[in-house]
Amino acid sequence: MMEKDNRICDIMVCAMARMIQDGDKVFHGVSSHMPMIAVLLAKELHAPHAVHLNIPGGVDPSPRKLKKYTSAGSELLEGAKSSFPLMEVFDLSMRGGLDMAFLSGVQFDNRGNVNASVIGSYQKPKVRLPGGAGSAVLIPTAKRAVIWRTKHDKRTFVNQVDFITTKGNVDRIVTPLCIFKMENGKLVLDTIHETSTLKEVEDNTGFPVKYSRIAVTPSPTKTELSVLKRIDPGDFRNIEF
Amino acid sequence: MSKMISMQEAAAMVSDGTVLGIGGNVLHRAPMAFVRELVRQRKRNLKLVKTAGAMDVDMLCFGGCVTSVDAGFISYESEFSLAMHYRKAVESGQVKGNEHACYTVISALRAASYGVGFMPVKGLSVSDLIEENDYFTRITDPFTNEMVTVVKAIRPDVAVIHVQEADEDGNARISGPLFEDILLSRAAKRVILTAEHIVSSSLFSSGTKKADIPHFLVSGVVHTVKGAAPCSCAGSYDIDTKGIRAFKEIKDQDGLAVYLSAYERADRRGLGGRNDGKR
Repeated sequence: MMEKDNRICDIMVCAMARMIQDGDKVFHGVSSHMPMIAVLLAKELHAPHAVHLNIPGGVDPSPRKLKKYTSAGSELLEGAKSSFPLMEVFDLSMRGGLDMAFLSGVQFDNRGNVNASVIGSYQKPKVRLPGGAGSAVLIPTAKRAVIWRTKHDKRTFVNQVDFITTKGNVDRIVTPLCIFKMENGKLVLDTIHETSTLKEVEDNTGFPVKYSRIAVTPSPTKTELSVLKRIDPGDFRNIEF
Repeated sequence: MSKMISMQEAAAMVSDGTVLGIGGNVLHRAPMAFVRELVRQRKRNLKLVKTAGAMDVDMLCFGGCVTSVDAGFISYESEFSLAMHYRKAVESGQVKGNEHACYTVISALRAASYGVGFMPVKGLSVSDLIEENDYFTRITDPFTNEMVTVVKAIRPDVAVIHVQEADEDGNARISGPLFEDILLSRAAKRVILTAEHIVSSSLFSSGTKKADIPHFLVSGVVHTVKGAAPCSCAGSYDIDTKGIRAFKEIKDQDGLAVYLSAYERADRRGLGGRNDGKR
C-alpha cells in the first residue's frame, strides 16, 4: 500500500539508500546529511555489508548522535573498528576500489557535465561557488557516482553548464522532483516522485526531458520511515529544504 | 628544548606573502585563535592552502589578509551555509580562488613531502580546471605513453595545526579525526602548533601511543585553550553556534574588530616560556 503524504526528503533519502547494494564501498563528504543518512539506512536494511566511508575516516561508524551542522565530524569515528580517512578513500577510488560516491554540484546539463565551481567565467566569476570538493576526481573514478541536489529549476538543469568541473561515471541524479539516469551518455528521466508530475519536471528543466517510459519513484516503506526516525531523530535529512 | 612561545610571537613568524597551510577540516579543529591573531596583526597577501576550509578562510578574507586560496571546497556546512567573505573577495578580484579537487591539494602536499616537483593525479581527467589553472597540466606517462594530469607541488612556508596535546618540545598528538594534518606537517617548511593541553614528555615516552607529529618538525608551540573555538575540537568541545553566528552577522571592519577583541585575552593567554601551560 502506498504511503500518503510522503515528504520529499524521505523519498529522496530512501531512493538514494536503495541505490546502495550490499557490499558496496560507499563514500560521502561534507555538507552531505542526506547521503550520510541514506548510507546508515541502507546498512540497517538491505545492505548490511555496505562499507561506509567518510571524511573523518571511521569505517562503518555507528554514531550515537548525528550533528546538524556537519557530516564530517568526529561522531563518524564512533563505533568504527578501523580508520580509513579521506586521503585513503581517494587513493582507493583512484585504484578502482570505490563502488559508489555521493556528490553534488550546482549546474548540470544533459551530457552529464557537472559544475560546482563558478557561474560566469572562471577567472572573473559572477558567482564563486564553494567548489567541487572531491567531485573532480571521484566522479571519473568511482564505479558509480550518484548526485543529489535539493534544487530542481532551469538554473540548475541547464542546456550547457558554465564550467565543467567534472564529468564521468554519473549514474543517477536525485532531485526534489525526479531521478535522472545516464543512458548512452545522455541524461534521461528514470522516475518521477509521487509528489511531482512530468509537466513540473519539464517546466523546471532547461533541456528537453527524454524518457522511454514514465515510472513513479517507489515510495518509502513503513520500515524505512521508522528506521529513519530512529537513526535521524533530529530530522537533519530535511535541513536542505 | 622548549619551543613554547606566545600567540603574538607565533603569528609574527608568518610574514606577508607567506604560503600558509591550515590544519583541520571545515568547522573541525581549525586553528581559529591563530587565525584571529593573524587578522589582528594585519597580515597581507597570504596564500592559503587547505583541502576544505570554512570560517578560517572566510575570516582571513574578511580581514583583507589573503591574496589566494588553494582549496577543494570553501564553505560552512549545511547549517551555516556559504562563506560569503571568501565568495565576495574572489568575485571582486581581491582574492584568487585556485580551485582544486580536495585530492589535488593532498597530491600537491604529497609532492612537497616527497621532495618532488609535481604529482600525477589519476582522477582529474575531464575538467575545465586543467586548462584554467597553471598548477595543472597534462603530460605523457613515460612508461605507458598515456596522458596523465599532474599537479604542481605546494610547499607551505608555514603550517599551523591545532592539536589537543603537545609537549613543550613540540611532540604532538591529535585525538579524533586527523584529516590531512600529518601530511601537512611533513610538507611544510615550518610548523606552528597551537595546543589545548601542554603535557609532560613522559606521556609519549612511557606510553605506547606516540606523538603524531615529532618535535624536530615543529618551530613553535602556543598553549591555546579553546584554540579551535568557535569551531569544534574532538574530545574537548563541540562548535559554539553563537560564536559562529555572531561572526556571520558582522557587517563591516569595525564589527570585525569588536568581534576579535572579545577573543583577544583568551587567545593571548599562553605567554610562552618554560612554565607555560604546566599545572
